[in-house]
Amino acid sequence: MATHAPPASPGARFIDPKVLARVGSLELAARFVVEGFINGLHKAPYLGVSIDFAEHRGYMPGDDIRRVDWRLYARTDRFYVKQFEADTNTNFSVLFDVSKSMSFGSRGLTKLDYGRFLAACLSYLSTKQRDRVGIVTFDDDIVDRVPPSAKHFEVALHTLDRMVAGRPGALGPPLYKATEFFKRRSILAVISDFYEEPDKVIEAVKPLRFAGNDVILFHILDPAEVDFPYDDSTSFQDLETGRKVPVVPDKLRDQYRRLVLDHIEAITRLCSQNRIDYHFMNTKVPLDHALFRYLAMRHKLTKVR
Amino acid sequence: MGFLTPLFLAALAVLGAPVLLHMIQRQRTEVVEFPSLMFVRKIPFHSLRRQRIRHWVLLLLRCAAVALLIAAFARPFLRSTALAVAGGGREVVILLDRSWSMAYGDRWDRARAAARGVVRDLGPDDRATVVLFDSGAQSGTRSTNDRASLLAAIDGAGVGAGTTRFGPALQLAQGILEDSDQPQLEVVFISDLQQTGIDSAANTLLPPGTVLTPVAVATEAETPNVSVVGVSVQRDTFAGAERATVTARLANRGSRPVEQMRVALELNDYELEALAAAAGAESVASVTFAPFTVEDTAMPVSVRAQADALPHDDVFHFLVSPGDVVSVLVVGSPGAPEASLYLERALAIGESPSFAPVVRSVDELTVEDVAAASVVVLNDVGLPSGPLGTAITRFVRDGGGLWIVLGERARWPGGNFEVLPGAMDEPADRDGRGGVLGFVDYSHPVFELFGTPRSGDLTTPRFFRYRPIDLQADAAVLARYDNGAVALAERRIGGGRVLVWTSTLDSFWNDVALKPIYLPLVHKTVEYLAAYRPPTPYLTAGQVLDLAQYPGADGLDLAGGNLVVRNPSDDRVPIGSGGRDGRSGFVDLVEPGFYEIRDVDAADVSVIRVAVNVDPAESNLARADSQELVAAVTGRAGGDRSVATQRELPPEDLERRQTLWWYLMIGALGFLAAETVVSNRLSRRALDPDA
Repeated sequence: MATHAPPASPGARFIDPKVLARVGSLELAARFVVEGFINGLHKAPYLGVSIDFAEHRGYMPGDDIRRVDWRLYARTDRFYVKQFEADTNTNFSVLFDVSKSMSFGSRGLTKLDYGRFLAACLSYLSTKQRDRVGIVTFDDDIVDRVPPSAKHFEVALHTLDRMVAGRPGALGPPLYKATEFFKRRSILAVISDFYEEPDKVIEAVKPLRFAGNDVILFHILDPAEVDFPYDDSTSFQDLETGRKVPVVPDKLRDQYRRLVLDHIEAITRLCSQNRIDYHFMNTKVPLDHALFRYLAMRHKLTKVR
Repeated sequence: MGFLTPLFLAALAVLGAPVLLHMIQRQRTEVVEFPSLMFVRKIPFHSLRRQRIRHWVLLLLRCAAVALLIAAFARPFLRSTALAVAGGGREVVILLDRSWSMAYGDRWDRARAAARGVVRDLGPDDRATVVLFDSGAQSGTRSTNDRASLLAAIDGAGVGAGTTRFGPALQLAQGILEDSDQPQLEVVFISDLQQTGIDSAANTLLPPGTVLTPVAVATEAETPNVSVVGVSVQRDTFAGAERATVTARLANRGSRPVEQMRVALELNDYELEALAAAAGAESVASVTFAPFTVEDTAMPVSVRAQADALPHDDVFHFLVSPGDVVSVLVVGSPGAPEASLYLERALAIGESPSFAPVVRSVDELTVEDVAAASVVVLNDVGLPSGPLGTAITRFVRDGGGLWIVLGERARWPGGNFEVLPGAMDEPADRDGRGGVLGFVDYSHPVFELFGTPRSGDLTTPRFFRYRPIDLQADAAVLARYDNGAVALAERRIGGGRVLVWTSTLDSFWNDVALKPIYLPLVHKTVEYLAAYRPPTPYLTAGQVLDLAQYPGADGLDLAGGNLVVRNPSDDRVPIGSGGRDGRSGFVDLVEPGFYEIRDVDAADVSVIRVAVNVDPAESNLARADSQELVAAVTGRAGGDRSVATQRELPPEDLERRQTLWWYLMIGALGFLAAETVVSNRLSRRALDPDA
């Protein structure tokens, strides 16, 4: 999957996800990743966020007189107040798929672990930027929910730490239900392996997008799911349905890879059509690329107002 | 190329097994857990089940091994004649004639020399069997290449007393050759090729391709031979003693007359008389010796002619026994002696046996008369009442013979059916010219004599009156009149025999007594009722003596196991057992001369002798055409050896000789070993993570 490998970022310090797996604390691991990531950026353009001037408007009774631009009053003898860029803090929630298929990992690191680190990093990064952080875990229903709050970072980490992938999953019902949780415009990071047809994936995500949220899909797959490196003919058992299928990998591999690529491309295309950010994550690559994606999204939000 | 069991080739279908093993790799028992089979299930099923062959070498090795195994089980063979014959030896059957005609001159020595020559000429791959034959055939070790045993069989053989019969020997050779897998079959026939032996070979046909090589040892241009072919004994009585006069018949089979040939009469190896006889060329002569007195026991007598080139037929052995007399008690009605006239006259004639008729009126009859008789004839008289009737009944039960003649005066008071075969009725008349016999059981000993043509016409007598009789269930009809009425019936009572004649034996009710058949009919009837067995003056070598049937051996305890039988060479010979009941008492007579049989435990130590002669037909030394014999048993003219090499072996023999299956099995094992090596190497490579 060379085409989905993260671009090399100058100065970025990439950390193998397997190393992160050996770090016991999620917060420590997230800080380790994020701080290193930020330091490596130097003067990255994404950090101009807080109180930049936007425009003037006429004073209205009730306005805080501290915001009156006295220099402009001196030149024009009118009261104008200065308006700045929009509020920079927003809601950030992770919608985490904890279905049974996420427990798969061929390299000692499961997709669930990888997504856990990803969610922790994103949450930490959001917290650093004073965003409100929340999390929703789901399989075929909502499993756990932490509403977005500036104080919920620890709770979110705790939720990430104790979540277990054990039941079959589905995207549509739980995400539709989660739509009700986000009354305020939020950044929603959906972390899943998206083992559904692309149309169904988009249909499941659309309600979130139509509710005004900014949705970014993190499609996490294990290298074995992408490359299908098996040799011996054997029975493959679906982790979620338990169904067994006799498989001859040598004959199947090329077709399988093509189907996976088609699946990813279809989701990518549909997301683009629906203005949904999509990012494919292979668990063998570092998390930095996901962070870039998130910050790009965050920067886009700052340009809106 | 052919296959002995081609059905095994159907198993070639299992060649698909290795292919399937390669195309469908057997799934391992462990299951790989995978997040989702969503994409796997989208792939068409056939693409899961089929896969390319990765290890062509393994596949080819396995297929080759299986194919060779199947081919081995199919038992292949090559039909190539060259291969079938190449390196093959001969199956030689040496037929060596040991009939007593081979004792003529030095024929036997030459025959054995010829047989030894055949054995010496055997190749390393040849096998041979020595078959000695005369009237029968026997072989030693069959189909062997052990020359020593073959030569020992030839050296140990001797001229026997049997006659020449080619059939048994050729049939034995046929069996040996048919069992042989040798490509070349050969029969060496060493014999004097007597004409008398070839008839028995008419139904014998040797296997195709067999070479029959006759070796005729009878090369003499002239074969002078005088033989004693038989004797006749005339009996008379002189001074109260029975005398016997022996006349010997001589046959000169040579082309030159014989003059002054000495012929001697010997009794117990003691020469009684010697005469000079003469016989013309190819003619017979007879010599009559002076009479001698016959003793009470059988006397061993021999007629010995002057020895010539063939000694076996120069002597003739026989027994002279005292004359046999059958006592017949004829019981007639008082005052009617004429009724027994014809019967008495008929019984007065006869030599072997002679009859001693005693005619008694029923009122003169005594119990002693009954006890002294062998046969009782109730001639137109009923069964006497009282002790006489009881005596006659007991006489029958004890083995005596009773002939009941139903005439005008026959009465059977009280319906005593104990000895009468049935209830008789009043006399019945036949109108006109009377009736004749319409049915006669010629298989019965009484009528057996009349069964052959011109031996007496039983239909000529006319019957004008008879007594109808209603037979009991256990009675058998031997003759009927033309109207179906019973003429002669038989009934067995105890050990005795009862015959009932429903007409008279005089000329009153019929004219049988006036016909030529009367005398033999009466004689045969009385002999049958007396259970008479003529003495056996001699037997022929090759016969089997049944002591239970031998006339002079009635008192022997065959089951006791104390009998001793000695042959003319004074060697003890075994007594065999046989027959349907497996009883003992059979002796093979293989040597001419006198066999002696005695019971060592019996108080009476008298010896029973059996005279044995060679078959005089063997004296005829006329030779048969060897080519005729070859043509008869091979179906082609002799001497065509090229035909033999074209013998086509049956598939079983071809396969057994070639044993191609053995090489196929070795090849299969080699392929399997190679498969093991290759598969281990491939497996090791697959398991090596660095590979």
